[in-house]
Amino acid sequence: MTETRREEQKLWLILFQIKGVRARLNFLALQRWLFAGLAILIAAIGLVLFAAASFGPLTFLGITLLLVITAIAGIVRETMVIGATRTSSAGAAAIADARSQMKGRLTTVLALNAVQKRSPLWAYLVEDTYGRRDEFEPARISPRWLSRALYSLIAAILLAALAIPAARLNNAPRRRSASSGIGGPNQITADIKDLDIRPADPALQPNAEIYADPETIRKLADKLAAAENSDRNRRGVSKLVDKARSLADAFQNRLNRLGKAHTSPARMRLTDSSPGSPSKSKNDNTPGGNAGGSGLASNSRRGATGNSQPGTAQNSPPPMTSLPPQQADELAGNNSTAPAPGSDQAPGATENPLNDSNGGGSSHSSGSDPASLYGPASGQPLGSDSFKIAIEAEPSDESSSPGSPTYVPPRIRVPLNSNQYPDQPLARATVPAADQDTIKRVFER
Amino acid sequence: MNEAPSAAIAELPTIADFARTFRRIQAEIHKVIIGHEQAVEELLSALFAGGHVLIEGVPGTGKTTLVKTLGLALNLSFNRIQFTVDLMPADITGTRVILSAVDGRREFSFQPGPIFCHILLGDEINRATPKTQSALLEAMAELQVTVSGTTYPLVPPYFVMATLNPIEMEGTYPLPEAQLDRFLFKVRLGYPGEDDLVRIISSTTGPEEAGVEPVFEPHEAATRIEGLKRLVREVIVAPPIEQYAARMVRATQPANSRVLGDMHAPIQVGEVNRYVSFGASPRGALALILGAKVGALLDGRANIAHDDIDRVAAASLDHRIMLNYAAHSDNVDAAQIVQQVVKAVRATRA
Repeated sequence: MTETRREEQKLWLILFQIKGVRARLNFLALQRWLFAGLAILIAAIGLVLFAAASFGPLTFLGITLLLVITAIAGIVRETMVIGATRTSSAGAAAIADARSQMKGRLTTVLALNAVQKRSPLWAYLVEDTYGRRDEFEPARISPRWLSRALYSLIAAILLAALAIPAARLNNAPRRRSASSGIGGPNQITADIKDLDIRPADPALQPNAEIYADPETIRKLADKLAAAENSDRNRRGVSKLVDKARSLADAFQNRLNRLGKAHTSPARMRLTDSSPGSPSKSKNDNTPGGNAGGSGLASNSRRGATGNSQPGTAQNSPPPMTSLPPQQADELAGNNSTAPAPGSDQAPGATENPLNDSNGGGSSHSSGSDPASLYGPASGQPLGSDSFKIAIEAEPSDESSSPGSPTYVPPRIRVPLNSNQYPDQPLARATVPAADQDTIKRVFER
Repeated sequence: MNEAPSAAIAELPTIADFARTFRRIQAEIHKVIIGHEQAVEELLSALFAGGHVLIEGVPGTGKTTLVKTLGLALNLSFNRIQFTVDLMPADITGTRVILSAVDGRREFSFQPGPIFCHILLGDEINRATPKTQSALLEAMAELQVTVSGTTYPLVPPYFVMATLNPIEMEGTYPLPEAQLDRFLFKVRLGYPGEDDLVRIISSTTGPEEAGVEPVFEPHEAATRIEGLKRLVREVIVAPPIEQYAARMVRATQPANSRVLGDMHAPIQVGEVNRYVSFGASPRGALALILGAKVGALLDGRANIAHDDIDRVAAASLDHRIMLNYAAHSDNVDAAQIVQQVVKAVRATRA
């Protein structure tokens, strides 16, 4: 009786030790899942931050999606692995047998301990196994307390720690330009050749104001009209891409903490450096009508405009002008009186102090056919001398040097007055008869 | 370390006794047989597992000497039958002959054949006709012989060792699969190595012959051996190990719907499907377990492990696998197939 009781006690101790092995193995498996999952998450977040600061919206969006999918797949895989490696008592006994050279003793004891009819050799087996209990202690079966997956977690933390400063370094120019603007506080010069003009979107909040001379604004209006027309013809995929870009842009700005920089409206002087002809064709109101002569149209990223024509100045480097807001307003004010009848110069041509140097501004007739210089005067009076156009634009360094941040096109929202419509060109002024021959001669050179 | 065995074990020889006796018999055999350690161990394993052995080897490798030495070491009755094509079943089992009684009356009396012994050597068994070969079947499987409607029991321990010559196949009758299946193990005897050959020359060409000392006394030999055989049967087998053995046998069976129907083996081995016509029978699983039990006892364990199964897989399954023509064409033998099967099944261990 006593012998049987002692045998039961030894059996209980053996089974308890097997449970200890199982607990230890499962604890390690849990650690592995936890560490690997955290490692995947941390690495993914670090890479997303780096991508936000280093790539354009669409690239960033693609990388982010890829990272999210990879991270989810990795976590799911780790979860499946832990499901497979979660050890039962029989599994723990088998592992202990294999690692401690117990040669099936533990498996046999565990499997047959509940069997009523036992072999005459059962007592021998229990005694033999109990005598070897030091060989299958949990600490010997699995000496580690911490899973090796801890190394992957440390590596992920290091990766993230490297990615965040790298992201900050990449992001610094954007932050500087966002906080101070290019060329002075709250003053930005945008080249209309590179403007990405979009139709007004009620969902977008205007956070920039653009001043420009009337001719540039007229081109801008033409461009907007063309863009609106093209927007109607756009396909669903293109819209989706735009939405994705907007989404990625917003998310990217949030990650880069540039959101506050957009809250204060920027005042921007808009100039047209390309020698386009407003009277190039009669199709100015059509989307394709602006394609050939206008720098606005030829540089639209919408793709709504047609192919550029030879002879236009669209391939010239985009000149930049920078004016303080007061001066821009002043110029705009002068613009309303300058193109008086009989004047030798086109409106705005002399008013822009930088016009001589870069040829930008409102040179209407540059590159136009002298024979069609003069159309019928519009009965509609000229609109306001200047426009105040609110756009949502993101200032950026326009240098095209390699490695510079990707140019993010601003979005422009143009509220027109009650007399203006997006699809109507601005009225053409009447040229005095005395000046017509002179102007023709100038253009015939 | 281990405490005194319980009362139930006390009736049986101990595990230590088993291992000691086994090693002693082995040592006596190796006084005569040089080399062939694995073959001798498999031979003794089959003896204590209660099975019979088919010994395959080229001439001159000591097949007959091995069996004779075993008989001497065990101190059991030993008979030898040289199988020839004209050997009749009655020459093996015995026959009824007319004998004159004391009172002058003549009556039929059964004259036992050479099959009535403890250890029987059937030399070159494949030279006899299938009918004669089949005379051994009943004795091997049921330890009895039926002659003219009368059944005569054989006295245990009963151990049949049959030898096969793999060459000189002309005029031979390959053993039927049913008879092959009744041999627990197939032991291969190859040519000895150079060192072993030198030792053989030295020990057999001198003036003195090596003497084999019997391990048991004549009166106790049968009882002791039967006791050891019972101990083997008591070795504990856990269900996972039984499952492992079953899986191994199933893995030898090709995915042949004619044999298996829809019950395809869970482990598919490419070589099996390509080269095997019929896999091992359930007797193969029994052989695996019994052989593994002997191995466990020799290792001082009361339970068998996966490795014990692996160790006896070749001897247990080799002769139970029927190869097809492709195997003969590609010069693939059953041992290679079993090796692949063991490898595949070992990978499924828990």
